Amino acid sequence: MSENKKWYSLDLGLKRKKASSGGCGCGKSEGDCNSPKEELSAEEFYEAAINASIGDERHRDGFEQVFDVKMDRRSAFKKLTASLLIGAGAVSTSCSLTSSGDAKEKAQIDWEEQFKGNYKLMSDEEKKKTVDRLMRSYELRTGKNISMTAENAEEDVLFGYAFNISKCQGYMDCVTACVEENNQDRNSEMQYIRIHEMKDGEGFKFDKADDNYYHEVPVEGHFYMGTQCFHCDNPPCVDVCPVQATWKEEDGLVVVDYDWCIGCRYCMAACPYDGRRFNWSKPEVPENEVNKNQHYLGNRMRKKGVMEKCTFCVQRSRKGKNPACVEACPTGARIFGNLLDPNSTIRWVLENKKVFRLKEDLGTEPKFWYFMD
Amino acid sequence: MRQFKVFKSLVVDSLDTITKGSVKYHLWMGFLTLIILIGMYCYSIQLEEGLSVTGMNDRVSWGLYISNFTFLVGVAAAAVMLVMPTYILKDIDFKQAVLIGEGLAVAALIMCIAFVIADMGGPAVLWHMIPGIGVFNFPKSMLAWDVIVLNGYLFINITIPFYILFRHYQGKEAKKSVYLPGAVLSVFWAVAIHLVTAFLYQGLQARPFWNNALLGPRFLASAFAAGPALIILVLAIIKHFTAFKVEERTIKKIAMIVTVAAQINLIMLISELFKEFYAPTHHSESAYYLFFGLHGKTALLPWIWTAISLNVIATAMLTFNRLRNNPKVLYFCCAMLFVAIWIEKGFGLIVPGFIPGPYGKIVEYLPTSIEVGVTIGIWALGAFIFTILAKTAIGIELGELRYKSKEDTL
Amino acid sequence: MKNKNRIYCTLLLLFAILSSCKNEGEYHSVSDRIAAEEVPYHGTLSSEELLAGRDLIKITEGDHIFLIPERKSQIKSFACIECHSKPLSQMKEPDKTKAHWDITIKHANIETMNCASCHNPQDMNNLRSLTGSKIDFDLSYKLCAQCHNTQFKDWKGGAHGKKISGWTPPRASMTCVECHNPHDPGFSQRWPAQFNTKKAIERKEGLDH
Repeated sequence: MSENKKWYSLDLGLKRKKASSGGCGCGKSEGDCNSPKEELSAEEFYEAAINASIGDERHRDGFEQVFDVKMDRRSAFKKLTASLLIGAGAVSTSCSLTSSGDAKEKAQIDWEEQFKGNYKLMSDEEKKKTVDRLMRSYELRTGKNISMTAENAEEDVLFGYAFNISKCQGYMDCVTACVEENNQDRNSEMQYIRIHEMKDGEGFKFDKADDNYYHEVPVEGHFYMGTQCFHCDNPPCVDVCPVQATWKEEDGLVVVDYDWCIGCRYCMAACPYDGRRFNWSKPEVPENEVNKNQHYLGNRMRKKGVMEKCTFCVQRSRKGKNPACVEACPTGARIFGNLLDPNSTIRWVLENKKVFRLKEDLGTEPKFWYFMD
Repeated sequence: MRQFKVFKSLVVDSLDTITKGSVKYHLWMGFLTLIILIGMYCYSIQLEEGLSVTGMNDRVSWGLYISNFTFLVGVAAAAVMLVMPTYILKDIDFKQAVLIGEGLAVAALIMCIAFVIADMGGPAVLWHMIPGIGVFNFPKSMLAWDVIVLNGYLFINITIPFYILFRHYQGKEAKKSVYLPGAVLSVFWAVAIHLVTAFLYQGLQARPFWNNALLGPRFLASAFAAGPALIILVLAIIKHFTAFKVEERTIKKIAMIVTVAAQINLIMLISELFKEFYAPTHHSESAYYLFFGLHGKTALLPWIWTAISLNVIATAMLTFNRLRNNPKVLYFCCAMLFVAIWIEKGFGLIVPGFIPGPYGKIVEYLPTSIEVGVTIGIWALGAFIFTILAKTAIGIELGELRYKSKEDTL
Repeated sequence: MKNKNRIYCTLLLLFAILSSCKNEGEYHSVSDRIAAEEVPYHGTLSSEELLAGRDLIKITEGDHIFLIPERKSQIKSFACIECHSKPLSQMKEPDKTKAHWDITIKHANIETMNCASCHNPQDMNNLRSLTGSKIDFDLSYKLCAQCHNTQFKDWKGGAHGKKISGWTPPRASMTCVECHNPHDPGFSQRWPAQFNTKKAIERKEGLDH
């Protein structure tokens, strides 16, 4: 079923590998022996991982067992490679004679990915390792190469954004560009950006605004206002995260480590701007639509049960480019730049236009300003 | 070494006790097991498909699970209302009730943890929350606080009754110097778990419905009404089915606690309603949605008005001594109060917090059958655990379970 | 006594931790932070690589110095004098097909503007300002700036228009004509690029499971 599937699944742990190259030791034909074996190992692996992490107590007595398991984990974690190898080895022993090297490597990668640390606390070397693993994992699963980077925040940079509500015409080209750039789930039609169609003369009545219109735009007597993650300088979502899976980078981007997120959705409840999205099911992107220029904190593939959000296209902005929405906007309503650079255009906007921010009274200090001509 | 032997014997004996019983008992446990299995099946579907099988979505991102979690924290905290008079105010009345209450707290806490795990998108990486191995966002995240206080409370509530029962099992009196500090600590701890859970919501400036100074105190008041109400019902059942003696006076005292807490809760409700509706701002929209519906969306109306009527009727009836002293009326009122507060603190608190959303959009929430299945499964799990704990404790307290050392048998 | 001190110290420490946990940043607001940390960017990132291969012209307008794209090579029928070899009046013949048949002017009204407001029939290779001075096709923004001075001010500062590449210096901005057709500068009505069916379902039938 998975061999000819046009869609490929993003969940690293669960994914069965596509047909692999390379022979195997068993007498049977390659397809016969490989596919079920790999399935078995992936299945087993998944079982082992789930059992090791939560086991029975998903329903039964929650705390005690979790704690016990974690003690196991701790030792495993400390002895790192050695025990990881043993663990991964144990899982794949049954098929060690027949399964290909690729399957083993995949199991190894999955294992290391499962037990890696928080990206926020990683050294550059560790970051590179995990990025390499993720690229290799993608290659093993799909046979295609992606390029993933892990650039750190640039010095003397603080990203900011300005949105011209008199220029926006509601074409939503930004929304499309964002979805394509950031590999968002196509099944649930996840979108980071919302464009609110507001009536002139009523002020900002978000509850009366339509953010899912489908008629020719701009409509007479209306103006358009886009919202997305505002990358607050004092982000409430970051404070509430129990595991520091989301944080503010040096350049002001509020990012999520998708692999560290436990999916409690507390940040979603804490965000006053509807800036966060949750993967309620396994996100899927057609293979030919995947944007292969990825950043670890940005548009790389997500899995089910984790948060994600706008990152000001970290994979672009940290290379000096503008985010996809800024580039796609046909009206020039979107302005992006370095707030710390007094010569930047965003600074000129802040200093020369009448700018305001949404819900400023909440003290979140968004780095996303609105202005009018 | 000897302690270990006694412990082993206790485990063996309690296993023996919990596997034996009347037909009714076996039917009850079989029924619970069946429900748990159904819950596990539902959860396995949720694990496979993701949380999309629940009624939750980007707008209403917490639902039935977190509602039940919030309510059960209150139930767990209520054990303190029995501990305090017994161990600190030295009111002997409560001694037996306390063991039951603490057993209830343990079961409620385990249910809380199960609900939180059921709500997680990635239960496989829950180890990220363990301090030392994972990264714990303490003290910033109220959820981190909650993890600490809940587990601490669970620990206290397991160890104290265990110590007492362990001593009684050997036919000895429990030493006050050992358990009293724990009991004192647990009183503060119980208040802490509930306040911290309230702060979890109260601290969110994004949700004006929760961002309200009364939330914490109201949590406590409703918890101290619903928890002891449940204890009264459980004691009544135990009294009916076992030889365990619960004095009339004990139940009356607990009923008094329930009454006062329910009255305070009602006063706070009035204060909240006044604030929301006397001079409504756009922050009152959630309250409007909850009590009157908003833009034609009225999913919560039947729930909240049921809850409020039950609450008012039960509180009013309990206020009269004559009615309260009639056991039948008391049990009825307790059941009403329990249901009322379950709705009010669960559905009535969590869901409207998300409605309308940050930009005024309304998406209504209704749990799916899978969600309901998991929820009922966890409740059954709680009942199952509580039955086991209570049966052992009652066995020991009645003297049916006693450690038989070799010297004795010789 | 010692114990007491220890308790004091612990309490102090706890207080310090608790009080420091909320505001690890030293600034009250992001504008304070900008004011305190601002420095012209001379980092490793630069637009130069992204702009490589494009013909750009450096212009200075007031305090602003930035790059704009070269225009003339983008105009298909430039240079104009290849056709416009004689004055316009002599080129008009009833039986000949119109050269610029696809151009209709939807820019202000005819009392305010006509072809000659910008084009010089005597010198088709260049544009002409209102006062008759010559404006190069590459610097056509100057023509627009004659009337649209507020837009011009915003454009110079960067509040109007788009950048060619990224946010990094050197700044390279598109000119008016990259987005606006000078003969028909307004944006037209059209269908939005997206419609979210899931969102519509969620809101209308949120309770149908």
